[in-house]
Amino acid sequence: MSTPLRYQVIHVYKELLEMGKSYPLGFDYFRPRLHKAFMSQAHLQDEEKIKEGIKRAEYVKKEIEALYYLKKYRKDLF
Amino acid sequence: MFRAAAARALRVAARPQFTQQINLVRPQIAASLLRNSQTTPSLLIPSIRFYSAPAGLSREEVQGRIMDLLKNFDKVEDPTKISGQAHFANDLGLDSLDTVEVVMAIEEEFSIEIPDKEADAIHSVEQATTYICAQPDAH
Repeated sequence: MSTPLRYQVIHVYKELLEMGKSYPLGFDYFRPRLHKAFMSQAHLQDEEKIKEGIKRAEYVKKEIEALYYLKKYRKDLF
Repeated sequence: MFRAAAARALRVAARPQFTQQINLVRPQIAASLLRNSQTTPSLLIPSIRFYSAPAGLSREEVQGRIMDLLKNFDKVEDPTKISGQAHFANDLGLDSLDTVEVVMAIEEEFSIEIPDKEADAIHSVEQATTYICAQPDAH
């Protein structure tokens, strides 16, 4: 993997990990799943594919943010 | 009336003693303060600490704290292999993402921020120890 992209991936991984600390089901639920999601994409070599993956990670970040905002209205689920 | 008079008499009786005591104590305090502040204060008052001064972490302490942190990290395959020279991937069986997590934990432990480039170069306990020792603001 080319170096700048590698740093981008690590950066988004760190951000997601930081966000996961307040995940409703607990960090211990979040962390292995995040790890697996990133590891399942570790084989990617094509730069475009990696960029797509980073975009997806950014999207998931927004989803988690939205989840946190809406959490207070969904007490029955968590 | 009686009570007030009695109190006044007591006060008068007590006063000379107090002043004597104060006079006895004060020269000592003054002398000791002068001596301490003017000659060698650090030897005579060992309890003064300068919190703004660099903490000066020793290499052993840094290494011990990193090893403790790894012991609490559940992904480590064989905790007996944790040593000062252990390599994250080769000895402890951590993958690159786990290494990122370990480095993040080290950042938190020593309350510093490691730039991405340098964080990516840390692959072993020894490298981490060397890096932390080189940081003046690590705690």
